[in-house]
Formats: sequence, structure tokens, C-alpha cells
Amino acid sequence: MNEIKPSQSIGIRKSLVDGPEKVSGKAKYSSDFMPIGCLVGRIFRSPVAHAEIIKVDIEEAKLLPGVKAVITGDETDEPFGILPIARFEFPLARDKVRYRGEPVACVAAIDVETAQKAIDLIKFKYKELPAYFTSKDAMAEGTVDLHDHRPRNIEREVDFELGEVDKGLSDADFVIEESFNCAEVCQVQSEPHAAIAEYDAEREFITVRASTQVPYYDHLMLAKVLKMDEAQIRVVKPFVGGGFGCRTESLNVTLICALVARAANGTVRLTVSREETFITHRGRPETDIEMQIGVKKDGTITAVDYTAIQRGGAYSGYGVVTILYSGGLLFGLYDLTAVRYKGFRVLTNTPPPGAMRGHGITNVRYAFEALLDKIATKLKIDAIEIRRKNLLKGPNYETLNEMFINSYGLPECLDWVEKESQWNQRKGKMGKFRGLGVACGHYISGASKPVNWTGEPHATVHLKLDWDGSITILTGAPEIGQGSSTMTTQCAAEVLGLDMSRFQIITSDSKLTPKDNGSYSSRVTYMVGNATIDAATNLKKILIEAAARKLDANPDDVECLGEYYSAGSQDEGLTFNEVVTAALEGTGTITVKGNFDTLPESWGTKKYRGGAVSGSMAYAYAAQVVEVSVDPDTAEIKVERVWAAQDVGKALNPLSVEGQIEGSVWMGMGQAISEGTLYHNGLGITNSMLDYRVPTIIESPPIEVGIIESIDPNGPFGAKEAGETSLIAFIPALTNAVADAIGVRPTDLPVTPDKLMELMEKNTNNAKSVT
Amino acid sequence: MEFMPNFKLYRPDNVDDAIKIKTEHAEARYVAGGTDMIVNVRRGIEQPQSLVDLTSISNMNDITEVDDGLQIGANVTLRNVRENQIIQQNYPCIAEAAGSVAGPTHQQYGTVGGNLCLDTRCLFYNQSEWWRQSNDYCLKERGDTCHVAPSGKRCFAAFSGDLAPSMLVYEAEINVVGPSGSRRIPLLELYRDDGMAHLTLGPGELVERVHLPMALAGDPSRYEKARIRGSIDFPLAGVAIRLRKGKGNAVEDVAIALTAVNPYPKIISGLQGLIDGNLGEDELDFIRDAVRKQSKPMRTTTVAPWYRRRVVGALARRLAAELSA
Repeated sequence: MNEIKPSQSIGIRKSLVDGPEKVSGKAKYSSDFMPIGCLVGRIFRSPVAHAEIIKVDIEEAKLLPGVKAVITGDETDEPFGILPIARFEFPLARDKVRYRGEPVACVAAIDVETAQKAIDLIKFKYKELPAYFTSKDAMAEGTVDLHDHRPRNIEREVDFELGEVDKGLSDADFVIEESFNCAEVCQVQSEPHAAIAEYDAEREFITVRASTQVPYYDHLMLAKVLKMDEAQIRVVKPFVGGGFGCRTESLNVTLICALVARAANGTVRLTVSREETFITHRGRPETDIEMQIGVKKDGTITAVDYTAIQRGGAYSGYGVVTILYSGGLLFGLYDLTAVRYKGFRVLTNTPPPGAMRGHGITNVRYAFEALLDKIATKLKIDAIEIRRKNLLKGPNYETLNEMFINSYGLPECLDWVEKESQWNQRKGKMGKFRGLGVACGHYISGASKPVNWTGEPHATVHLKLDWDGSITILTGAPEIGQGSSTMTTQCAAEVLGLDMSRFQIITSDSKLTPKDNGSYSSRVTYMVGNATIDAATNLKKILIEAAARKLDANPDDVECLGEYYSAGSQDEGLTFNEVVTAALEGTGTITVKGNFDTLPESWGTKKYRGGAVSGSMAYAYAAQVVEVSVDPDTAEIKVERVWAAQDVGKALNPLSVEGQIEGSVWMGMGQAISEGTLYHNGLGITNSMLDYRVPTIIESPPIEVGIIESIDPNGPFGAKEAGETSLIAFIPALTNAVADAIGVRPTDLPVTPDKLMELMEKNTNNAKSVT
Repeated sequence: MEFMPNFKLYRPDNVDDAIKIKTEHAEARYVAGGTDMIVNVRRGIEQPQSLVDLTSISNMNDITEVDDGLQIGANVTLRNVRENQIIQQNYPCIAEAAGSVAGPTHQQYGTVGGNLCLDTRCLFYNQSEWWRQSNDYCLKERGDTCHVAPSGKRCFAAFSGDLAPSMLVYEAEINVVGPSGSRRIPLLELYRDDGMAHLTLGPGELVERVHLPMALAGDPSRYEKARIRGSIDFPLAGVAIRLRKGKGNAVEDVAIALTAVNPYPKIISGLQGLIDGNLGEDELDFIRDAVRKQSKPMRTTTVAPWYRRRVVGALARRLAAELSA
């Protein structure tokens, strides 16, 4: 007889458990639900950027045959928003419109043609106000405030100094500064926003399916704007085609869909176009950064002093958190002893940004890593060495802002990219128009302080074991394509030693699954993974006790081998199904739960207001080397090769981890060289996939992925963040490589060929004037 | 993507019927692949009540060798042009241009006729109905202001087809058929310098086929376009060049044509001085400067016009250098 061993699932390349539905087209996304009698929703959007609403005349539209409901801002006076301190956005505009494309009214009709005809019959009367499309214009003296309670259009000002910055700067041998501008970018996830709401008038009950990363927040916001009891609402998250942060807050599309369904007393499907998805936005804000870094001759950083201004759009969304991350997350990557940060989140007449992948830190890290590279060049220190010089004295380390760092694989990441890229042999010897660049990044594994303080654990997972021997995982964690359902299944299977095929998973249905905060801030693997381990451990205990009863043994002597439980080598043992039968005796179907909560030590600093933002249980680290060539005639950048190392603690599923890192490179490449929104008087001119240029597969370079495993002491099997960190490191690694290739440093993103050609010509002319 | 409005689709199997249907329905539009036009229909830029699909017309589907050259039916797909060995060997830049259009799926549907008759493009025009309405439309469509050059009274939308310049350098001719019969004209005469009405086709007329002359078959040529991405993107600037050399590497014949930098595909003039000479650095610079001078890109894309002018010159110079090497 072969030796019986528990099945292993962790650390093994596993294809995604929901893959077959996706590749066969069976997976149902929000817009795939079309019950009989389903109405079509369509939104009337503001043609102007800033105006007082005089009247939204919907009388004619309502009279059109086939129109079942037309609603305006009068439908609800309850504002929505994730952050309790920043709730002043309405699903449909009420007193004013504040950006072009803001929803003003919504029609529900029998078909899309009728809905559009009704939209055309709506008469929108307004009084235009001065509109501001840049941070600078919005903050100027004498502007009209977008919101009465936000004077000078400042949503939030952050100002802190930790350590002695002026002393650090005066102690420095060199102080080097630079200004950077990063264009606004969007996620361009594959699925445009969609929702379907089914209102049951008999029971005053509503069921909402939506493309969301946060069904729980949707549930809260639906109850709020509909003024309904939370128990009368069911939120289901069907398959979702990506999020990358744009669905981390409740979107107006979902809320409007529910409002119009109730008004129509029926079922309404509201799918919006790609352009409307761009207008709904919630991407990364345009950011202006001025930064100075003081260094000793040997490259040791003595102080950092910087300002970040974010064009925050017309409403706050996550804006306050974004501007706080831009300060708090400067820490934790390198050993910094003095930092001064001023952040301004500005309200402008453009669509509101949100919490895009690499939330808050991506642009600041770009500036920091570019400036560090400039310093290395000036001091003639190798770009990898200057980073080594400033590493944390980890792994157990507390930063100036009291980060809770217990694993730190950055040194190993740097070693890996240095070796694999043959950095030492090739750097500086690449020839004309070819270059190598390096940069680092880090990111949190879930925000340790929840957005809404309820006293509940951060994550709860249920496991249901029934007579058939199958185990159903019930989790509210939204699978949005990132692989959370696979991760959860792996964690449960590993603890119980069973093959993953014994498990089915049901996610994100508020009537079935336990509440979960959602898929954002890279919290799911860390928090839900840990809760799953806890649940599976609890189930295993029950099974061992049942087996012990049956075997007449002491539970401590029972060994779980997955499909087989035995009490010592002499024992005949029990099959898993026999153990299940024993466990269900007298109690029936078993449901166990597992929880996870963060430790108070990880809740961030109290040294400045908002210091809790950037507190996390663990931080993932990345180093990347990028090789580029630049076409001397067209100034086009070609990314030739990428070496991406990330400390993920433990790669639970190396296949998924590689996918996340490769995806991070692609997304970073977009922001670095081709993506950026542009507006014409507040009207988005790049709101299509033709004019908003996401890189295609042709642009994809060979990507070598190096997985570094530092085994975080509190992570699930040691795991940490895997989906955001590498994006952050890629952007500066690329621009540093461009600087290496052409001898002049781009500062503004994206580095499109027109901008780069201007820079190259200026450089050539300067060189000529010197000689 | 916006919703597709209702329309009536006709799919005639011969040219006469197509012309008849088109003439009988004033609002009708020809569709020959539709990869660009359907996007415009969804955006409400075009609001045809009827579409006349030309792709079932059987005698427009072939690439045929004839005594005086090669005939390419207007229904031949871009993919077939890209993959055709005769075109690859005798008129290489045409195959290259076809292979550079958008992405492989577009090339599967897009046709020669459709690409030659491609509508001109502009940032202020290729937008949704809501967008254009919010921006008071534009000179090209329902409005009275050109947002590219608000003080002027003409439209600068850019012609962005890839095939036209590559065929122009081979002195292509086209067969145009319409209610009053058939005529054969130089391809150049299909176009005029007006972004609003860049095609010279009369009511009901369509492009039936392209003729490429035997005399130029085998002349070396190249096509290249500047774009941000290596796929999908329309050209920011495109250049085709045909260069035949004779004894002592001297230039026997040269032709250069551009796309995406004017409202029509532009043949570069003033290259006669290069004939019988060699292409040294000075001559290559001359080519670059001639191309830059004759290209007139406007703010019709998100990329700066000055860059498009510089890059089109640089590409022309590079291709000329490659072909003369």
C-alpha cells in the first residue's frame, strides 16, 4: 500500500477555480442577466462642467409610450460615499452639476431606442458657473467653490514633519530637487460598469447585481440612498471583469439603477458605455510633485521634503485617503529619518478619481525613485548600491510613522534583479539609445483600520460540510478576476489535506455569504486567507474529534491525512467519508466559521491626523530592472525586457503571482509611456479604447518574474500582497532606463514620443551649444 | 460602445443592384467591411436608414493578373492583400500597409475599397453623440465651428487610410462605377483637400477595383507609420516610398506619399532632382525636409502636430536610406 499523504495545495501552480466558466463563455457578468420584462436604463448626463440646476424638466419624457420611469436628483436627498467624512455626492445631481457627464436624470424604458428618445426629451435648464479643470485654477484666489463647505476648493490638506527635516537638509552634502507631473490614468478594466436591480413591490424588497469590488459597501449605500431597511436588500456580485480600484467604492451606476427600478416598480438593467465608464472614472488623479532629497556623499539619505497636489475631481470619493497614502507610504521601503510632506487634494470640475491599483503612492514613488536615480548618477554611485545603502535595518523594524514591519525581502529582490539582468556586466555599456534602469516599490497587505468601524472582525469565512462529503466555502470576498476564490480554496484544502476538488465556493451574495469588506487595498489574501485557515482549522478539529470518538482514541493521537484519519500506525483508520458520517451524527450539517482581525500594533501612527492610513499587517516589496531602447528618429520607447522580483511573503499560487506581476508590468507600462486622460474644457477627449492608449500584447516585453519568499510571520502560510507592488516599481524603473538610454531624464508621465522627442532635441541643442 | 440603431441592410450580389438601391434610398450608405463606419454609426455620426453591404458582390473579390498589371477588387480583404504573394513581391509596400491597419481582426473584415474610402478623422468628430452635442458639434457634422482651427471656415479632419499612400506611389488607378457607368481614374483623383468631403465620388458611385501598373511591378518600396501602439492605432503619420535604382546605384524613379497629415493622401512633389543621382546624406535630408514641408498635420489627434510633422520626415528619410542601401 502506498503511503497516504495529505494533499498539498499551497505553493503549487493551480489554475483558477473559476477559469472554465470564463474561457467557455458560461460565466455571467452583470449585463448578462436579462429576465423577462427587464427594462433598459439610460442616464441623462450633464453637458456642462459647472452649473446651478434651475430645472430638470422630465414631463415630456415621462409621457413617451414605453417609458416606465424617469427620475432626477429629487429621487433621493441622501448623499453617498465610502468615507463618512466625505459624503456629499448624490447618485443624481441635485443643486448643482460639477463635471461634464455627471448623471442628472435616468430613464427606464421598454427598450434602448425608447430610452434614448426619452433622454432626448429631457430639458435641462441651468445657470453656468466658472469651471476649473486644473488644480492650480481651482486653488486660485477668488474662485467659486464647488462645494460650500470646502473653501478654496481644498478637499484635504495634509502637513506633517517626522524627524528633523531642516537639520537633515543642512547636514546633507547634496540636496537635489525635481518637479514631476503624472497624468490622470484610468483602469480600463475589461468590463464596463453594469448593474441590474429587481424591485419587489409586494415585499418592498430589492435585489441588486452589480459589477463591484465592494458588495458590502454597495449594500450600505443602497440602504442609505433608497432609505430602505438593510434587511430588505440583497446584493449579489456576479462575475466581474476586473476592477483595479475603480469599483472600490459604490458607483453611481449601481445606485441609480436601484433607484430607477424602484420608481419603475420593476427590473432594470443599466449598462453603461466605455465612455461612460471613463466618465464614472475613479482612477488615479493627476498629480504634481515637487520633491527634494538630501544625501551624504556616500548616498545615505538625510531628509526628504516634498509636496503633492492631486487634481481630485468634483467629489471626494477616496480622495482623503489617497492624499494621506501619498505621505504615509513614503515610509517602509527605505530607512528615512526625516520627512516633511505637504499634500493638497483639490476639487476640480472633472470626473472624480478613486483608489487605483497602487493607491496613493504610485506617483510619489515614481518621483522618489526617479530622483534617487538622478542622485546616484550625480554622485557616480551605482543605482542598485544607493538603494542598498538606504535599506531598512529589517526585518523587524518600526518606521518613523510606526509601521509594523515583520518581513522585508527587498534586499533579496535587489540581488535577484541585479544577477538576472546581468546588471553589473551590462549597466553603462549598453550603447547609444539603449538603457537599463532599476527601481523599487512596496505596498500594504490590507489596510489595518477598517473604513467603517463596526467592531466586527476584518474577515469572516464559513465552511459548510454536508453528508455528501463536500465542503462549501462561503465567503463575501469578491472574486473580481484576481483569483481570490482559488486562493481561499487552496487555503482550506491545505489545512484539511484534501484535494481542491472536494470544495465548491460561493462568493458575495449577501443572503448566503458572510459579510466581507471587499476586494481592495490588497486585503483579501492576507485577511480572508487567514480567516479561511482559521475556519478550516476549526473544521479539522471537529473532524478529528469525531474520528477519535469513532476510533475510541484520544483526539491528540488522531492524525489527519486528508482522505484518511488514523490513530497511530496500528489503527485501521477511517476514510474521510466515514469521518464525515461520524461528525454529522446527532448534529447534522456542519457549518464552521473562521475570523481574522488585525493587531493594534499595525494600526498606524497617531503622530499626525490620518496616520492610520498606510498601517498594515505586512508590506510586500519589489525591485525591477527594465531594459529599453529608444528610436532616435521617432523617439518611441520599446521596452525590451523586464526583470521583476517581488517579495510576496509566500507564493500561495505561483501561477497567480506571476500573472499579477506580469499584469502589473503591463499596467505600469501604460501609465509610463502611453496612457493619460485629456480634457477639452472638461470634456474627456480620450474616453475610448482608441484614444486612451492601453498597451497591446505587441508592446508586451519578455518579463522574467522572480518570486522572493520572506514568509511573513502573520500572513496566511506567510503570504503578503502580490497584486500592486510591482506596478509601483515598474514606472520609475522604466523612466530610469530611458534616462540611461538617452542621457536626459523625462519627468512627466506618460513619456509619449512627442514629449520625449522634445526632450531629446533640447538635449542635443544644449550639447551643441556647449561644444 | 453605444447601442446600434435600427437600419435596413441590403446585400446585393452585383454592382448594378447596389447602385440601384443606393440611388433609390437617398439616406443609404455603402458599407464595405464596416470596421470604421459601424463605430461611427454607433456614435450617431452616421445615421443611415439603410446600409448597402458590398461584400457579396462576387466580381469585386479577386486579385487578378492582367496584361497591363494587377487588378485588386475592392472587396478583397486587407488580410488577403497582406498575404498575397504577388503583391508582396511586386508591390511590397501595399502588403506592408495592409498589414499595418489596426489589428488582425480588423484586417479580416476591412476591405481595399473601405480603406480607400475611409472617412477622415478628428478628435472633435470621432466622439459619441452626447459628446459632440455637448461640444456644439463641429463643422464636419451639424455644427458651424471647427474646433481644430476655430477662426477658419474649413475642416482639417485627417485622412488616415494606410493603403492609399502605398498605392499612390505605384501610380494606381481605380475603376469607379455609378449610375452613369464606369470610369477609370488615377487613384489620386479620388481625393480632394477638404476634410468634410474628401472623396470625389458622385451620388451612387463606388470604387470597384484598383489597377496597379505592370511597368512599376517589382520596384522596391516600404510603408511605415508612426503610432503610439504597435497595433490598433490609426497612423499619426504614415509614409510610403517607392525607389527604383539603376546603374551605379543611381535613382531611376522615386515616389513618396503620406497619410494622416492632410485631409487627403498626399504625393510629395519636387523630387525630380533626385533622379539619376545617388542618395547621400544631403539627398536624404532633402527628402526629410520636403516631406516635412508638404505635410500639414493639425490638432486632430492627441499627439502634437509638430511631432507628427517631424516624425513623418524622419520616417521618410529612414525608409529612403533603407531602400538606397
